[in-house]
Amino acid sequence: MPKIFKAVTAIALLLISFAAHAQSKFTVSGNIKDKKTGESLIGATIRVSDNAALGAVSNEYGFFSLTLPSGSYKLLIGYSGYKEQEVSVSADKSNKLEIALELLESQLEEVTVSGKVNKITSAQMGMDRLDIKDISVIPVIFGEKDVMKTIQLLPGVMPAGDGSSEIFVRGGAGDQNLILLDDALVYNPSHLLGFFSIFNSDAIKDVTIYKGTAPANYGGRLSSVLDVKMNDGNDQDYHVSGGIGLISSKLDVEGPLEKDQGSFLITARRTYADLFLKLSSDTTLKKSRLYFYDLNAKLNYKLSKKDRLYLSGYFGQDDLGVGSIFGINWGNATGTLRWNHLITDKLFSNLSLIYSDYSYNINVNNSGISANIFSGIKDWTLKEELELFANPTNSIKFGIASIYHTITPGEVTGTNITTYNQPDNHSWENAIYISDSWKASKKWNIDYGIRLSAFSVLGGSNLYNLDQNGNILDTLHYGSGQIVKTYVVPEPRISASYILNDVSSLKGAYTHNSQYLHLISNSVASNPTDKWVGSNNIIKPELADQVSLGYFRSLKNDHFEFSVETYYKYMQNEIDYKDDANVLNNTPIEPKLLFGYGRAYGVELYFQKKVGRFTGWVSYTLSKTELQINGINNDSWYPARQDRRHDLAIVGIYKLSPKWTLSADFVYYTGNAVTFPAGKYTLNQGATGAEPLNANYWVYTTRDGGRMPGYNRLDISATKQLKKHKKFSSELTYGLYNAYGRENPYIITFRTDPNDPNKTQALQTSLFRWVPSISYNFKF
Amino acid sequence: MNKSNYTIPVFLLLAVSALTSCQKVITLNLQNTPPKYVIEANVTNQPGPYTVTITKSVSFTQDNVYPTVSGATVVITDVTANATDTLKETTPGNYTTSVLVGVPLHQYTLYVNAASNVFKASCTMPGVVTLDSLYSQLSGFRGNSYEIVPVYSDPVALGNYYHFVEVKNDSVMPSIYIRNDQLINGRVINTPLGGSDGGSKINDGDIVEIYLECIDSAIYQYYYGLQQSQNQNSASPADPLSNISGGCLGYFSAHTSSYGTIVIP
Repeated sequence: MPKIFKAVTAIALLLISFAAHAQSKFTVSGNIKDKKTGESLIGATIRVSDNAALGAVSNEYGFFSLTLPSGSYKLLIGYSGYKEQEVSVSADKSNKLEIALELLESQLEEVTVSGKVNKITSAQMGMDRLDIKDISVIPVIFGEKDVMKTIQLLPGVMPAGDGSSEIFVRGGAGDQNLILLDDALVYNPSHLLGFFSIFNSDAIKDVTIYKGTAPANYGGRLSSVLDVKMNDGNDQDYHVSGGIGLISSKLDVEGPLEKDQGSFLITARRTYADLFLKLSSDTTLKKSRLYFYDLNAKLNYKLSKKDRLYLSGYFGQDDLGVGSIFGINWGNATGTLRWNHLITDKLFSNLSLIYSDYSYNINVNNSGISANIFSGIKDWTLKEELELFANPTNSIKFGIASIYHTITPGEVTGTNITTYNQPDNHSWENAIYISDSWKASKKWNIDYGIRLSAFSVLGGSNLYNLDQNGNILDTLHYGSGQIVKTYVVPEPRISASYILNDVSSLKGAYTHNSQYLHLISNSVASNPTDKWVGSNNIIKPELADQVSLGYFRSLKNDHFEFSVETYYKYMQNEIDYKDDANVLNNTPIEPKLLFGYGRAYGVELYFQKKVGRFTGWVSYTLSKTELQINGINNDSWYPARQDRRHDLAIVGIYKLSPKWTLSADFVYYTGNAVTFPAGKYTLNQGATGAEPLNANYWVYTTRDGGRMPGYNRLDISATKQLKKHKKFSSELTYGLYNAYGRENPYIITFRTDPNDPNKTQALQTSLFRWVPSISYNFKF
Repeated sequence: MNKSNYTIPVFLLLAVSALTSCQKVITLNLQNTPPKYVIEANVTNQPGPYTVTITKSVSFTQDNVYPTVSGATVVITDVTANATDTLKETTPGNYTTSVLVGVPLHQYTLYVNAASNVFKASCTMPGVVTLDSLYSQLSGFRGNSYEIVPVYSDPVALGNYYHFVEVKNDSVMPSIYIRNDQLINGRVINTPLGGSDGGSKINDGDIVEIYLECIDSAIYQYYYGLQQSQNQNSASPADPLSNISGGCLGYFSAHTSSYGTIVIP
């Protein structure tokens, strides 16, 4: 441990020395935003026109700071899809800049993309930033443009299944992704079994995914970080936009609170999928409810030139049920209160108070029994981050974060049943971190940092001692608030790029990170009742070490981009389930789990055409993911559920005319590893003396020893820009999901052949074939 | 309340699949497995004889013809009463008791020696809970078929486990119904069997017998595993954990049994 503190002290001293060196220099700082909407632009570049080595990038609030040796300079400020702006600065002028960039009139123009963080030179690897404009034209199921579906088309990011929002990143499990909405943790990013994600893309400004080494300000999950930022709202003018689709509609209202000073944004969505159920001939389905709604809201206000306040929130709810007999509803609620403060023109502070909540409720009301089961997880987070733009070659972030988790494992109330209430489970997660983005030389860019995370298990709920076979020996009781155990994990990380020439670079990265919360889910489909559990005396924090290497190359004046990345990941304290573990009932979970190791490795290829009428990309991943857990498959390595040998995605977007945009995507991937039966036997079930009917039971030999058939699908869509009026514009989107009607397996089950009771057969259920959609979007 | 465990995923799947899904029979390249012994042994509080059936499993792709195992030595002992009964093979693979009388709260052991493979088990018969009555009602979920409601009183003490066997028109239905009293302890129970778990449809004119068995917790766990493997919605399906040692499939259950018959009008 002392080593870390030494490192932190050394870096702190370094910072002071940077400050001391700054005297013969001057600092240009300011904000970059979109001229028309006032939305701050994240990742815009500020370059010095005759010195390529000097420059800066705007942070996630559109702020930048650049310290230059005394003199006069011409700065070029650029952002992808926007007109580049030139600004003259010198040491004797005011150097607070408010830059408003203008969107390029026509996307058809052949323009060289300047601005936007350059993938070649930046030290960061395994990172992708989604272009929101792309999301709006890529075909998706039900015509509902979706962030989660779009990132699944990137290399190394795979969907959990057909139409699923859940992702597997570089061999990680579905619960190993840190999903943030305006810094608030999202515990379940799915609506309606995952066929929709909770992200309403109309309210989204920026989506960044880190597949490998994420900066030190992120932590808590092993595989990836998906950082989603909401729009701030237009601070120039009032706007209303919306969309009407076959199964969902949405509305978005935004406008200034006070011009240039503050703005608001409210978006709402509601699906009405259950209307289709009413058409069904099945009486159960007729009585069914199946819908969700969600709401995003954000306010921001500039208190002064140095202070800006943000308040943002999300609330979403799914409801599913049959009449009054049975119902389940679940949803997320998040809230973020944030204060940006400019301490000096080089030191940016960001203080946030964040609330995050996921819960579900099950109602059963049948034959005189009514029961309600409630379960959920709730977080309060306090975060302070300081960003020091020390000098043109170093930009330093340091901060602390503290999260208080409350998990309600299950409360049962009702009439004619025994009600009970398991005590809430509390834990406290803390982290302190520092990182530096260092332009070490013309050839080298290095991002490095360390995060020290600590997780304290708090008393109040039951903990157990287990014997060697996992049976409970005794129950341990600790007072509430008492710290039972604290895990401390130093998480160093480094990511470096070596620039070979103007158009190509080599990169390498290493991370060690930890995960303290785990999702207990043992069903084939993702389920709203899957439960989060915290680490404790039995469930150890999951740990991962990842090494990655890559080659990045830009071609034809940056019209094309190509990259190869390869990774190796080693994981500890991975969780799998004992045979027949009932993880859903209310008995202690610890005896049902097994722990072991994981390893994942692979190669990711990515080729993108960035400019022109035809744009798109091809991504391919070759990978392997295995687990070794004592007690499963004779303690030998076996494929993890998310193990996929091949994963291919091809995306094409073609601007046919100013009116029409056509797009298509094709995906292929190897099927999941699953457990299939190898044999069968019969039982009479009891001693009734009667002959059993279709009493065939399955014999299983190897966990995950089978494979689902491969998956492939083509989606197409066409978007027509309707006649533009002065203020009103609208478009129609036609889509066809699974255009050639491939029957992709969603689940495979085994049964007695209904036509020949002497045989058994495998039955494949597919969900979506030829799902057409039409949606109308408008804006005024 | 175990109902909700599998109701949800099945229901969700049902709702979504109704929109767009389709099914087809496919051929998979499944692993083969060497035959395993399958032992099914029941002792009840009803008059004997009691039967132990020994068969072998076959590979998935073979016909549903299960070889019987003959020539085994099968012994059931009433440990509490200190009485031993060596079973006789009456038909191939079926071994029956001659003197044993099942008594609630007695502990029983099973010994099987088949071609020098030894299997052993022990099970205590729980106290008696009797089925009071049966009635039928229209299914709340389906609305167009019936569900059977067994009525019985759960004893005051916590820790009762139940297994129901549904015999419809003289055939044992494959659905596995199990319950515990975690949320319903000490009450009169009139919860219908089934719900939306894919249980067999009951229609007009059907004759249904329901057996209420009081089982011990190990057998409850066994049937839970069997139910999981039958429902096929677990991500890690496995053979149910048998209470018989020696590496075989099946179970040894000493349970109480009572039954009722209902004719759907």
